[in-house]
Amino acid sequence: MPVEVDNSSTVSGDASVSSTGNQNPPPKSAVKKKRNLPGMPDPDAEVIALSPTTLLATNRFVCEICNKGFQRDQNLQLHRRGHNLPWKLRQRSSKEVKKRVYVCPEPTCVHHDPSRALGDLTGIKKHFCRKHGEKKWKCDKCSKKYAVQSDWKAHSKICGTREYKCDCGTVFSRRDSFITHRAFCDALAVESAKTQTNPSSESDPKVQAADSSPRRSPPAAPPPVSAPSAITSSDIRIQSSVLAEDPRTVVEEAPTPAPAPAPPPAGLNGSSSSSVSLVSSGCSSSSSSSSVFSSLFTSTTVSASIHPPQPLAPAPPLVGLNGSCSGSVSLVSSGASSSSSSGVFASLFASSTVSASIQPPQPPALTNLIQADLAPSTSIEPISLCLSTSHGSSIFGTTGQERRQHAPPLQPAMSATALLQKAAQMGAAASNASLLRGLGIVSSSAPQENLQWGQAQVDPDNASIAAGLGLGLPCDGSSGLKELMMGTPVFGPKQTTLDFLGLGVAAGGNPNASLSALITSIGGGFDATTAAASFRGGDYTSKDIGRSS
Amino acid sequence: MMQFSEIPPLHQIPPFSIPTMNKNQIHRARPWPGFPTSKGLGSFGDANCMEQLLVHCANAIESNDATLAQQILWVLNNIAPPDGDSNQRLTCAFLRALIVRAAKSGTCKMLAAMANAHCNLSIDIHTFSVIELASFVDLTPWHRFGFTAANAAILEAVEGYSVIHIVDLSLTHCMQIPTLIDAIASRLEGPPLVKLTVAGGATEDVPPMLDLSYEELGSKLINFARSRNVVLEFRAIPSTYADGFSSLIEQLRVQHLVYAESGEALVINCHMMLHYLPEETLPPLSNVNSNPYSFEPSSTQSLRAMFLKALRGLDPTVVVLVDEDADFTSNNLVCRLRAAFNYLWIPYDTVDTFLPQGSKQRQWYEADICWKIENVIAHEGLQRVERLEPKSRWVQRMRNAGFRGVSFGEEAISEVKTMLDEHAAGWGLKKEEDDLVLTWKGHNVVFATAWLPA
Repeated sequence: MPVEVDNSSTVSGDASVSSTGNQNPPPKSAVKKKRNLPGMPDPDAEVIALSPTTLLATNRFVCEICNKGFQRDQNLQLHRRGHNLPWKLRQRSSKEVKKRVYVCPEPTCVHHDPSRALGDLTGIKKHFCRKHGEKKWKCDKCSKKYAVQSDWKAHSKICGTREYKCDCGTVFSRRDSFITHRAFCDALAVESAKTQTNPSSESDPKVQAADSSPRRSPPAAPPPVSAPSAITSSDIRIQSSVLAEDPRTVVEEAPTPAPAPAPPPAGLNGSSSSSVSLVSSGCSSSSSSSSVFSSLFTSTTVSASIHPPQPLAPAPPLVGLNGSCSGSVSLVSSGASSSSSSGVFASLFASSTVSASIQPPQPPALTNLIQADLAPSTSIEPISLCLSTSHGSSIFGTTGQERRQHAPPLQPAMSATALLQKAAQMGAAASNASLLRGLGIVSSSAPQENLQWGQAQVDPDNASIAAGLGLGLPCDGSSGLKELMMGTPVFGPKQTTLDFLGLGVAAGGNPNASLSALITSIGGGFDATTAAASFRGGDYTSKDIGRSS
Repeated sequence: MMQFSEIPPLHQIPPFSIPTMNKNQIHRARPWPGFPTSKGLGSFGDANCMEQLLVHCANAIESNDATLAQQILWVLNNIAPPDGDSNQRLTCAFLRALIVRAAKSGTCKMLAAMANAHCNLSIDIHTFSVIELASFVDLTPWHRFGFTAANAAILEAVEGYSVIHIVDLSLTHCMQIPTLIDAIASRLEGPPLVKLTVAGGATEDVPPMLDLSYEELGSKLINFARSRNVVLEFRAIPSTYADGFSSLIEQLRVQHLVYAESGEALVINCHMMLHYLPEETLPPLSNVNSNPYSFEPSSTQSLRAMFLKALRGLDPTVVVLVDEDADFTSNNLVCRLRAAFNYLWIPYDTVDTFLPQGSKQRQWYEADICWKIENVIAHEGLQRVERLEPKSRWVQRMRNAGFRGVSFGEEAISEVKTMLDEHAAGWGLKKEEDDLVLTWKGHNVVFATAWLPA
């Protein structure tokens, strides 16, 4: 405890308790009653140290007549009236009472130090119980345990009340549970689908060129191609920095593209690369998911610019590529990701290798590119490819309907769009068909079941078995097997076994005799059928292990 | 048919007649007369007794002693009903596993005996829907502990990075991710770009099974992230532990080359997955190049060791390793049985505190444990995938691979404690040097460790 204590105040009540100065507990000052900060007592207070027994004692005041215990003397006095005993209620003394503070008897506790004493008797009692006591009170709703009854009561009131409610109707008392559930709940998907229909600015992470606004105003159906051309045509010099970091920049605020909100990250200086990224980002800005891969693309190209010798193609072709369809750039570069629910997108390597192979950007060529793209990147193809839907309206139309890969209904279809879609579909299908298989997913080969491993060098001599039984198997435990088997109460539900064991034991206390009786009963005129039936008909049939009905 | 007609008399036995087994016999009072009250036996239902019997049974099976094995199995069957208390259910699961083992291996006598001795032994493993799995994983600190500790460590490690690449190698199919995304989203400096890579299909034959494809899972996560204003990119790379996740490693390596200097944080989150990697007790396959990492020089190390080295080669920002603290790697059946028995009693013991008997979830839960027990006891070689190692071993491995441990901060610890408070009273937290250990009634259950490149 980082406390500077000048004089060590002893338990016996050294009056001067040096306060510590800046401690952490926030002031609990109520308006009405001035309280010292918890654990920072009044320096003039008298320090009292009570024993654990005293602190834990609940009913200290006992009536001598009926031995009923009370927590307070006042209550006892009132009770004594009932016995017609003389009683006296103490008046609250009007004169100045010396302030008392209490220390915790537990030596390892912070509040054991007089300078951190607590000012209230009830407080110290509760503290002692809470921190050093046994938790006897349990909430029946959530199994939280408490040492102090009032804590438990307080909790019970709110337990289950401050609940997190998912849109699907399920209620949670824990935030973590709520979050995990919500992430996977269909209700969330439905909700985000709704938000897709209105290009909400809050979900648009990329800054766009000034031209972007008109493009984006009609949310549902603007031919995306025209927009990109507008974008690409302008000399876009938008901050690559913007792209690289803060994804929150709202697209709508396009008119202020120049002042980059943040300094460009080191290394991201290639202008061409930035323009490329810009374009892609520009295209993809409207819907949130597009930012997904556009940022991906961004980073790809960005890093490409950092490492010149990389297989990434230089930026300009990419820009050119954008001329036809910005969306395509994103698509090509990063594989795909669906708009609304965004799906899996192609690996970064796909993007790198793709960029390498990007050539003159005619839309038809894109198809080839995409297919070509998908093919070579075999080793790194992800499981699924989704289509990218750049714009709010999305090249591939729909406004959040599609959640699956390669299935988006088209919007005002441009030839490029249609081609892209088909290409992605085909590519995805192809990848599914060939790439994944060809990925050589190593699955555990047929188990090399070696039935031999169970076999030790065994001397299946029955005599030795018996000897083993009689003398106790080579066991590591203290109890020999025979003792175990002898001692096991196989009676109960299994009356047959009861019988044969009973017989064996009745023969006498001689363990060997019992054992041999056991064996005899097993090997001799033992009703093997019954035994087998009982074994078979035992719990295994009626109640299967771990089996759900 | 359990015909014991061939057992010869062992000594001169005073003959006595065995009355007919009449099923309507009156239940005898116990203890029956003449019952040897051996002090060493203690109470019959206790775990020690059951463990002893299981050990004897295992020995009998290993030595192909069909008769003895049957006898013990019979006894066990009687004292351990599948709907009994937690010890009994645990023993029952082991019993089942031993029967499966005996049925698979051993002489034909054993096989025949086992075949007759029981009925259907198959376990019904439930395939979870994603919502079911979310709530299932949430019931107990078994996984939540690792999630909470890991998330805290990850958050601390990725402070300041604008791009975070998380590689999630988790048995729980990304159940940790929503809370991680939520935490990332609320950090002060604004949400970064998050890329999530998982190994698709890594544990498709290991419970818990998910009925959703990884693509759909990923799309849900992306959706969720968007709702928190976090841009998430998702990738599932088909990869399996059987070859040390080589395809995943390859992908990551290439990416590392590309992104090495772009200020991207690489987080490797391993949650109860690495113990499936083959380690030294598994002899390398002779028909496969023992080094699946084609970029590395051929080595004689186990896949587990090679994988960790490969991780180190990626220069990650932080690696979090969470796994169960037990040793199931012994090649000796009895050792393994003891180890498993002395560890897996814990889930059976805890389940009473969070699932009522007879509930479906409880059946799923216990079925999954049953599967694990069967895998440890009844399978060998490649099929035995549950190769748990204790924390000390993992720590050593990580150090050998070139990592240094980093401790969890005070915040992390307090978060874990708060989380534990939401569960039954038996759960506890232990701090062992840099590591955190989840305990149940004082016994180690799951450990969480965090590593930085050394």
